[in-house]
Amino acid sequence: MTGTAAIEAAALGKRFGRRGGWALRDCAFRLPAGRVCAVVGPNGAGKSTLLTLAAGLLAPTEGAISVLGTVPGAARERVAYVAQDKPLYPQLSVAETLRMGADLNTDRWDASVAQRIVDDGDLNPKSRIRTLSGGQCTRVALALALAKRPELLLLDEPMADLDPLARHEMMGLLMAQAAESGTTIVMSSHVVAELEDSCDHLLLIGGGRVRLAGEIDELLAAHVHVSAPAHAVLAPHTVVESRTTGRQLSALVRPSSTLDTDWRTSTPSLEELVLSYLRNPEAGAAPAAKTEETAV
Amino acid sequence: MTAQAVAATARPRPARAWRAVLRLHQPALFLWGVFVTLVSAVLLWAYGPGGNAAGAAWRRKCTVDLCDLEDYSVDRYHLAFRFSEAAIDFLPILVALWAGGMLIGRELENGTAELAWTQSVSPVRWLATKLAAPAALLTAGTTLLVGLHRLLFDAHQVPKGWNWTDNGTFETNGPIAIAFPLLGLALGALAGLVVRRAAVGLMVAVLATGVARSLVLWASPHLWPWRTDVSALPDGYPPMKAAFHGGEGAVTSTGAHIPDPCGTAEKACLAAHDIVGHYREYHPSSQFWPLQLTETALILTVTALAVAAAFTLLRRRTA
Repeated sequence: MTGTAAIEAAALGKRFGRRGGWALRDCAFRLPAGRVCAVVGPNGAGKSTLLTLAAGLLAPTEGAISVLGTVPGAARERVAYVAQDKPLYPQLSVAETLRMGADLNTDRWDASVAQRIVDDGDLNPKSRIRTLSGGQCTRVALALALAKRPELLLLDEPMADLDPLARHEMMGLLMAQAAESGTTIVMSSHVVAELEDSCDHLLLIGGGRVRLAGEIDELLAAHVHVSAPAHAVLAPHTVVESRTTGRQLSALVRPSSTLDTDWRTSTPSLEELVLSYLRNPEAGAAPAAKTEETAV
Repeated sequence: MTAQAVAATARPRPARAWRAVLRLHQPALFLWGVFVTLVSAVLLWAYGPGGNAAGAAWRRKCTVDLCDLEDYSVDRYHLAFRFSEAAIDFLPILVALWAGGMLIGRELENGTAELAWTQSVSPVRWLATKLAAPAALLTAGTTLLVGLHRLLFDAHQVPKGWNWTDNGTFETNGPIAIAFPLLGLALGALAGLVVRRAAVGLMVAVLATGVARSLVLWASPHLWPWRTDVSALPDGYPPMKAAFHGGEGAVTSTGAHIPDPCGTAEKACLAAHDIVGHYREYHPSSQFWPLQLTETALILTVTALAVAAAFTLLRRRTA
């Protein structure tokens, strides 16, 4: 992979408070530009911390993170970020919020983009932000993020408070943006199914570490779901997870050579893959490191 | 909107964070306008019609033995003067309250500060704008009020009751009254940044500003050398003047200044302690400007330290 990475982290760690626990530790990954990347992991895994570090809102405790080839603080103009709780000024109206966006940005700001997103949601420009629903706030927050025409868009749980229809619309909006301007989109979620259709890159975070990183297609192709007799020996393949029910063994493996032809195999779904890794914390390190190489 | 965008793309421009700050804090801007207008109006009234009426009443009063009790114009004149001083005196606390709560604390509590930082304004620039815009408006307003207050004080149409050293009068007659609100702004912003909560931020801000203000008022007379009046023994203490007074005590035959051990002019006591006179330290009115400027310098030093601390904290926290 050549060109600048959208995000590159090396030995990245963040601890809150001098004696607090590590929210993120020893993270190393590289996200190539132009991808739509899903950051998945259980609640409290460190997804939000990673995104705030990339947005330049927090300074890392150790290690380094670079965004669009520079430090996050220097890339502010080209990076957009929507926080999980979509903070907006409740006392401003929708129109005032957009004018504020224009004031807080350079002339990268495209007012017509913001206007279109707000108009599509049938939002009255005169309504105060405090009177809007959660979904409407998300729309305004996305308008602020997209109107600055970012090269990298960081979204923390963007769809959490949207109804299915709005979710579908928003996802369409984001994908159009990604396709049109080649924006790299990074979005976190703990609902894997939400991201499966739209993302082509995966960053799996668990317990503050990167468990798996790479192109989703490659990750899926590298893993096989195996059904075999209970006495079958899975070595030398890397076993992510195995379960024995009666005389049947069911496992998710990362084959290192051709698999035994007696076994029934199938390609796992993204959700199965993610869940298998999350259920087995000790299975993470080796494959994650390997997929990272293949992604690069 | 579209026209604006086209115009903007035609000519590159930096972000105009100050406009966003003014838009966000419109209510505060409005209240500041009301405050300046109201206090200016009171001062101008006292300088003009109020003062004339009071002066006329005062002269009338002085020519007859029985004062005209129905005429309150002198009282109103004094009230207007004292009201303006009290308002200007209280301003630093109001500014600290607003800065710790609305300006900084609430933004960090709600995460809206992070919204600004992920537009194209860095945290440092955000804080700089948040401090500079209000500081400019505060300075403009207080300069006007101080000018009007001086005008009124110098006219002094009823020659009684006002002293240049009075609490509030001295501060409001010079740059001290311009510097104190800036101290409130800086300490308020620092408090908001430290606690990252609106309600707690404003309380800490008020407390810090109150303490800092008291310390400055307590310390500043001692930063400029006192003059000393000495009196010989039979006269007791040198008379009080229209001046700031510092230490006082007894003078021994060697010329040493000691705390007065006797209190009353009891001869045996005075002789026992070898006391030959008394002294009193004071700042005469000719020291007005040195006193004003040293105190202003002290306030601005504390303000600068608070601002530096705020920026250091913010820089350490964000990337």
